[in-house]
Amino acid sequence: MLRYIAKRLLGMIPVLLIISSLTFFMIHKAPGGPFSKDKQVSPEVLKNIEKHYWLDRPIPVQYLHYMGNVLKGDLGPSFKYPSRTVNELIADSFPVSLELGCYALLFAMFVGVILGSLASLRPNTIFDYAPMSLSMIGICAPTFVIGPILVLVFGNYFKWFNTGGWDSARDKVLPVITLGLYYCAYIARLSRGGMLEIMNQDFIRTARAKGASTFRVIVLHAMRGGVLPVVSFLGPAAAGIITGSFVVEKIFRIPGLGRFFVESAFGRDYTMMMGTVLFYAFFVILFNLVVDVVQTWLNPKITIDS
Amino acid sequence: MRRGKIAWVWLLGITLPCLLMMGCGKRVTRVEAGDQTQVYHRGNGADPSDLDPQLITGDIEHHIVSSLLEGLVAEDPKDLHPVPGVAERWEISEDGKTYTFYLRKNARWSNGDAVTADDFYKSYQRILSPGLGSEYNYMLFVVENAEEFNTEKVKDFKQVGFQVIDPYTFQVKLKNSTPYFLSLITHPSWYPVHMPTILKFGKMDERGTRWTRPGNFVGNGAFRLSEWKVNNVLVVTNSPTYWDAKVVRLKEIRFYPTDNQDAEERSFRAGQLHSTYEVPLTKIEVYKKQYPDLIHIDPLLSTYFYRVNVKKPPMDNLKLRKALAMAIDRELIVEKIRRGGELPAYNLTPPGTAGYTARAQIKKDFAGAKKLLAEAGYPDGKGCPPIEILINTHEAHKTIAEAIQSMWKENLGLEVTIANQEWKVYLDTQKRIDYQVCRAGWSGDYVDPNSFLDLFLTGGGNNETGWSNKEYDNLIAEAGRTGDQQKRMEVFQKAEAILMDELPIIPIYFYTRPVLRQPSLKGYYPNILDLHPFKWVYLESTPGKKE
Amino acid sequence: MATPLLQVDDLAVSFHTRNGIVRAVRNISFQVNRGETLGIVGESGSGKSVCCYSLLRLLPMPPGRIESGKAIFDGSMDLLSASIRDLNKVRGKRISMIFQDPMTSLNPYLKVGQQIMEPLLIHGSTTKAAARAQAIEMLKSVGIHDGEQRMEAYPHQFSGGMRQRVMIAMALITKPDLLIADEPTTALDVTVQAQILELIKKMQGELGTAVIFISHDMGVVAGFCDRVNVMYAGKIVESAGTQKIFEEPQHPYNKALQKSIPSLQQKGKELFTIEGLPPDLAGDLRGCPFAPRCAYAVDYCRRDPVELLETRPGHYSACLRVQRKEITLQS
Repeated sequence: MLRYIAKRLLGMIPVLLIISSLTFFMIHKAPGGPFSKDKQVSPEVLKNIEKHYWLDRPIPVQYLHYMGNVLKGDLGPSFKYPSRTVNELIADSFPVSLELGCYALLFAMFVGVILGSLASLRPNTIFDYAPMSLSMIGICAPTFVIGPILVLVFGNYFKWFNTGGWDSARDKVLPVITLGLYYCAYIARLSRGGMLEIMNQDFIRTARAKGASTFRVIVLHAMRGGVLPVVSFLGPAAAGIITGSFVVEKIFRIPGLGRFFVESAFGRDYTMMMGTVLFYAFFVILFNLVVDVVQTWLNPKITIDS
Repeated sequence: MRRGKIAWVWLLGITLPCLLMMGCGKRVTRVEAGDQTQVYHRGNGADPSDLDPQLITGDIEHHIVSSLLEGLVAEDPKDLHPVPGVAERWEISEDGKTYTFYLRKNARWSNGDAVTADDFYKSYQRILSPGLGSEYNYMLFVVENAEEFNTEKVKDFKQVGFQVIDPYTFQVKLKNSTPYFLSLITHPSWYPVHMPTILKFGKMDERGTRWTRPGNFVGNGAFRLSEWKVNNVLVVTNSPTYWDAKVVRLKEIRFYPTDNQDAEERSFRAGQLHSTYEVPLTKIEVYKKQYPDLIHIDPLLSTYFYRVNVKKPPMDNLKLRKALAMAIDRELIVEKIRRGGELPAYNLTPPGTAGYTARAQIKKDFAGAKKLLAEAGYPDGKGCPPIEILINTHEAHKTIAEAIQSMWKENLGLEVTIANQEWKVYLDTQKRIDYQVCRAGWSGDYVDPNSFLDLFLTGGGNNETGWSNKEYDNLIAEAGRTGDQQKRMEVFQKAEAILMDELPIIPIYFYTRPVLRQPSLKGYYPNILDLHPFKWVYLESTPGKKE
Repeated sequence: MATPLLQVDDLAVSFHTRNGIVRAVRNISFQVNRGETLGIVGESGSGKSVCCYSLLRLLPMPPGRIESGKAIFDGSMDLLSASIRDLNKVRGKRISMIFQDPMTSLNPYLKVGQQIMEPLLIHGSTTKAAARAQAIEMLKSVGIHDGEQRMEAYPHQFSGGMRQRVMIAMALITKPDLLIADEPTTALDVTVQAQILELIKKMQGELGTAVIFISHDMGVVAGFCDRVNVMYAGKIVESAGTQKIFEEPQHPYNKALQKSIPSLQQKGKELFTIEGLPPDLAGDLRGCPFAPRCAYAVDYCRRDPVELLETRPGHYSACLRVQRKEITLQS
């Protein structure tokens, strides 16, 4: 197992190298630069600024310089925030995105699995149709629609929660729900399907025949297999939730990394772009590894060595 | 049956907490709390990128920095006329070229140091240092040898027109008499910086050091920096060391980055902001009807226009340009599309800029436009190649471009297409003058026609139309030398007349700034630069109106 | 005479589907005495499994529904109307089940040991350690001697026969009064079949458990059961002691079933099959349900209502012609 993990971790290096090289040359090829503005900067000033950031050197030189720094763990200064380094910005903002993502994922899993299992217990009744049609809405409606609607209802009308920011619990409820809703809906459907299938299995009948209570049957016997499709979905879901929080972060004014990811591209903040791409790539690969490991633990039929 | 019961229990388990929360009911909003404690919650637009007054470029940073630092001269909160800042008084020489400032002795930095003439001298040396690469250093180029020092034609800063007479007397020598000089030096590029602090965190002319971070920043303004979380909030609190601290009533200003208009509006409605940076276009009418006391349409020193590539056929044809300019129904655009109280623009400089209103005006004349088009060789648009309007991707620009597209088609019979590009790509295309017609906007940096008209100097960095006119260049230069305000304005009239005759640009409308403000926000006056010296702002909830 | 261990009266089970009501078990009555082995035989779809699942209410409901009947267990408790809570106290403790397919009847996500111990833990009164020791002991008595290690394995690491041994161990660990075995050998290799049957018999002998043995294989039943109920189309058509069933069949269907036991036929002969298909259970049946396939059927067979009647002492038949003594059947 440990050898397997080590092998996977080593495998990350070439992947990250390819990603970073591709990104580096692509962003330097894109029209417009970090310092182009609608009020033109005078050529002399621009020259001085570019000199400061090594942008006056040939691209390959810049690349080697940058990669050299990356190897030392230095992602460079941000062009948008001159007094901050990319390392600092990621260190400040990623925990926020991670927190948001974790809450959203927890919410999605908790509510999704419960709703899905509930629906699967009495298929084709109101207990099935109601949550499943709700989940259809959750899947179809985009975040930028759900978010404002939630804010209008619970922030503006009822005034239970705050409409933006990321400090108090009141700030966090709506963005977590908004971000998690799609995944919640998806997980509800997955776990309904999974549970329905499991509940029709012979071994569930065996468990009942042993005198196990409904609760025990569901939690001990059915859940484990029933949530397997959910677990395999968790990898992409976690990656999607944590890297895809841009819209939610924007709607709710959340100081997370998702915003840098997108806005650095619009602002041609080369170093920030490289930093976020590298970081996210690392994160996504790592997360897939974690999910694979969890899956083998949940399903004894899968073994890693084969 | 039994399972049904369990299902019900689960359903209840989910809905009950929600129902309980409803009981929480009403609570004091952030705005209501702020009114009591003098904490101003301000929607401040995009996230500020830095607080170094010599490196910042946007009004977003400008607003924050203006609370942290104070120049020789400050602005009056109502009409922004120059009032004493660090300088308690000043003298102007006969020829209008030498300004002597007498600094007040009780001006202090936030670390307790006295603010002296030497601080200003060193600050200006820093901003003019080529290595710093300050984008707004040209604001100082009115000073003798300032530009020369910046471009390294003059090596010794002593030759630049700044002089420390004594610790509390500072003298500035200008190239030409510059009547708007006192207005100019209220700009952040003229703010002093605390050199010992800067040197503590890096070299004098080093960009992006940590001196602007909370805990490091030393300022001389009415407020001091206490918190700065990227994309979250920036907090300033009133400074006890400020020389005029007794008039400052706000305890704290919290600047929130709000780059999403709709989110900002919702926050305002939820009582989380005292004022917004903008109002979504679609909400303006609603507020005007339902909450006229909350929405304010402030004037703004800013023009929306189209650049025209005069080098490339068919746009090199002056008659075609004129026809295009005359065939736009600007009233329709501002009244039916913008609806934010904008004024239709028939010239470039916003009316009433430092008392100047251009006489040269484009006519709205569809029949005349048609005639001109025929004279240009395209009767009823026949034979004219399709015209492409370039915009940066944005709903508002698209709507306007579509309106103009249909006006040109209907009034002139021209084929018009719209191309949109992502912001930085659009900037690049515009800079390379690789377009036919291109959407643009310009805000004045200071209240003077020069801030608009010097854009279109031959080869100017912001010209971007390929247009060049010797006479125009001469007139702008002449205005720079003319001390007599009235004569100067006449020169601008002549220059703008040439511009409006040759039409390298097609003005569309003069911007306004629709904003939302709580009635409790006092000492806050609308003005064209959207500057609101926070030392005069305070909060006072109107009793009886709200519970 | 002592009260029977299980007395089933007038049991009717149907499935309410989109295509109508399928009446799978049609008002049958039977009893199981302590320590005896009752065989229930019939073709697939004859209702024998449904009948047994409904006793422990293990049918999916809906669509399944118990329409009527009583199943008095141990003289006191009606399994069909008891609360789930009370029923759960009996399930796995006093009545256990073994299922047809050992490949799917064990939970693939749980360790075998955990599953064997589960009945003990559910029904309380033992510590985990004690349950463990008992489970290992039980594994030993079903012929798995490295129980200690096998406890930690997952079902997919076992062969089919081994899994059925595990099932048996699991079912009998609580020393139940009644074991319901639903075709426990059907899915197994022939060689393993015999071992498993042997094992059930051995365990029954040790524990004195009564067994309901469901099978479609007359041959297996012959050597295994004390009494046999023959089911056809949701009804019991013949019931008697095993010997009588085989020596003096009282129903043409029983006779046909016996004829189809492969081992009783000579080599080289074509396999005997019963012509036709069992009736569609979705509607009412008139007359004898087997009549359309019966070589002895006459007009009234297709018309007159049929009942299970004692045709010889201790021997019950639902054949009208046998009841009227119009025919005698030879084995």
